[in-house]
Amino acid sequence: MNLDWTVAWQYRFMLAEGVLVTVLLTVFTMAIAVPGGIVVMLARQSRFAPLRMAGTAYVEFFRNLPLILLVYWAFYVLPMIVDIQLSPFATGLVALCLNVSAYNAETFRAGVNSIRRGQHNAGLALGMSQWQVMGRIVLPQAVRRILPVLASTWVSLFKDTSLVSVIAVGDLAHNALQIRSQTFRVLEMLTVMAAIYWCLGYPQAKLVDWMHRRFGVSE
Amino acid sequence: MTAYARIGAGTQPVIVYHEVVKRYGSFTALDRVSGQVNRGEVVCLIGPSGSGKSTLLRCTNALEPFDGGRVLFDGVELPRAESEARHVRRRMGMVFQNFELFPHMTALDNVAVGRVTVLGEAKAAARKRARSLLAKVGLSDKEASYPATLSGGQQQRVAIARALAMDPEVMLFDEPTSALDPETIGEVLNVMKQLADEGMTMVVVTHEMTFARRVGNWIIVFDHGRIVEEGPPAQIFDRPREQRTKDFFSHLGWGG
Amino acid sequence: MDFDFSPVVTNWRFLASGLVLTIVLALASMTGATLVGTAVGIARHYGPRWLGLVLALYIDSMRAIPVLVVLVLPMIVDIQLSPFATGLVALTAHLGAYVAEIVRAGIASIRPGQTRAALALGMSRVQVVRKIVLPQAIVRMLPAYGSILSITIKDTAIATVIAVPELMRQSETIAAQSFRPLEVFTTTMLVFFLLLFPVTRGVDAVYRRVQHLGRS
Repeated sequence: MNLDWTVAWQYRFMLAEGVLVTVLLTVFTMAIAVPGGIVVMLARQSRFAPLRMAGTAYVEFFRNLPLILLVYWAFYVLPMIVDIQLSPFATGLVALCLNVSAYNAETFRAGVNSIRRGQHNAGLALGMSQWQVMGRIVLPQAVRRILPVLASTWVSLFKDTSLVSVIAVGDLAHNALQIRSQTFRVLEMLTVMAAIYWCLGYPQAKLVDWMHRRFGVSE
Repeated sequence: MTAYARIGAGTQPVIVYHEVVKRYGSFTALDRVSGQVNRGEVVCLIGPSGSGKSTLLRCTNALEPFDGGRVLFDGVELPRAESEARHVRRRMGMVFQNFELFPHMTALDNVAVGRVTVLGEAKAAARKRARSLLAKVGLSDKEASYPATLSGGQQQRVAIARALAMDPEVMLFDEPTSALDPETIGEVLNVMKQLADEGMTMVVVTHEMTFARRVGNWIIVFDHGRIVEEGPPAQIFDRPREQRTKDFFSHLGWGG
Repeated sequence: MDFDFSPVVTNWRFLASGLVLTIVLALASMTGATLVGTAVGIARHYGPRWLGLVLALYIDSMRAIPVLVVLVLPMIVDIQLSPFATGLVALTAHLGAYVAEIVRAGIASIRPGQTRAALALGMSRVQVVRKIVLPQAIVRMLPAYGSILSITIKDTAIATVIAVPELMRQSETIAAQSFRPLEVFTTTMLVFFLLLFPVTRGVDAVYRRVQHLGRS
């Protein structure tokens, strides 16, 4: 078997572009899904029952759905319903945001609920308002519990962006697989793709471990 | 020199500590500790927290490897190899501060598990024995209960029954009442008193001075990894010789 | 807009065969991942240091690389495996790493006092692990293990990229043939949800019932 690793160098710009798209997708999705998650969480804690149910239904539905199916659905079905043509990138972004917002909503809810009721009462007893209690007592404590989980979600998201390659978004996975089928350099391109993902993902995974050790709360 | 004749004096001691040393990094937990436990004795180890009492207890059945000296059990030096340590451990019963009952087993199976897994006894026979031991500690009605549903005092009594199930020659108690609510301490101490009255050889690490004085035959006072002084309860509690023993008692608000 | 669910209805056998394969692949992968993960997790906790480092590299690599990449990676070796077998191997390797982490964390969460108590009874190291540590660790692992189960089912859908004829793949085929992606994909969504929701809830319910068995 003769191997030709120069193929990776030859297509370096296409690979770099793929990495850029992968990173941008991750950043944009998180930037939208954090506020998105907060909105859904607040909806679930609303005093208005229908809003509460809608929030719960949203979270349960999207957490119990394969992301790749959501990507296909957003690509083929969404344009038929809302009647606008989105670019593949925007379509992928929508699918990822719908998914990650649901996970974030759960993370935020768990983080806020983990702060004991006594802390809340202690704040109120000092004469603080509900909002002050939320802002000064509950949230600062909750952040420590939320951050590590959010970091785990980030790494999952980074990897999950590869799924949008099935709708021809030019991310790393898509571009690498494209080069593979153009050049028939299967072994080389698959290895290079895995290696690039590894180099990008491994430090992130380690960083998450560190955050869990640093901020993690053992019950 | 005391004129007090120690129980079991003149016979071969069950446990002998000879210059035992244990270090954790630069911290010396046991500093050349020597002493002995005779058959039929109730030896109480007292002293401030972190003075080495519990460490010595864990060295006794080789749960804690030590750095120097020797421990003899029944005249034989404790083996260093894990596989042989088992044979010594099964001859000593141990009771822990946090009970350490196995949460996935009923009270009855907690007591029977040692006989089944270690002695290879049939389950039915082991359970029969376990039943009689639960009766002995006054918990016949709790045999089907899981530890999570028992009070602290009940859990500790099950733990004592579990240790007794192995027919041990010695019972080691590591602060058995420290994690208990005040109202349940009595029921555990009563079981221990009953054991002592039956002639069981016991080594008890405790902060219960009343128990040590009433039930103990020999008191060893620890401080900073060393034995400060030892003797019969009458001597230690009423006429302590060492200033550090007196300091320890006055910290507890004991005596005057 | 008019709906036409007839492609779903007429091809229900084809889709159902995909659903069966989804379930079979998920169960097989989960079984494989449990075996691999338990062995790796135990070896990492109790094994020698060098072995722990090697296994940590395996686990962290699997956490760093997307499932999609792991699924296509077996193509680099020149062995002809069926798509199903390839998917099974890849998912087992990938999920096994996650199970290993759960097993290790479960073992590490059992207080050392439990081991000490069992040793004090005279049990051997192997007996301590089998009779005392693992039974409790398994209870504590249940919630995380349950979420791995639902992740597994979701990951089987990604096996569509290597042409495993599971539910996702079959749905794509019908959607493309009938030009009715809305009806087909919406139906598939509902089927996946109905499959996954009870799993998630069921694991939670089981855990609540056995929780106390792991609380030492």
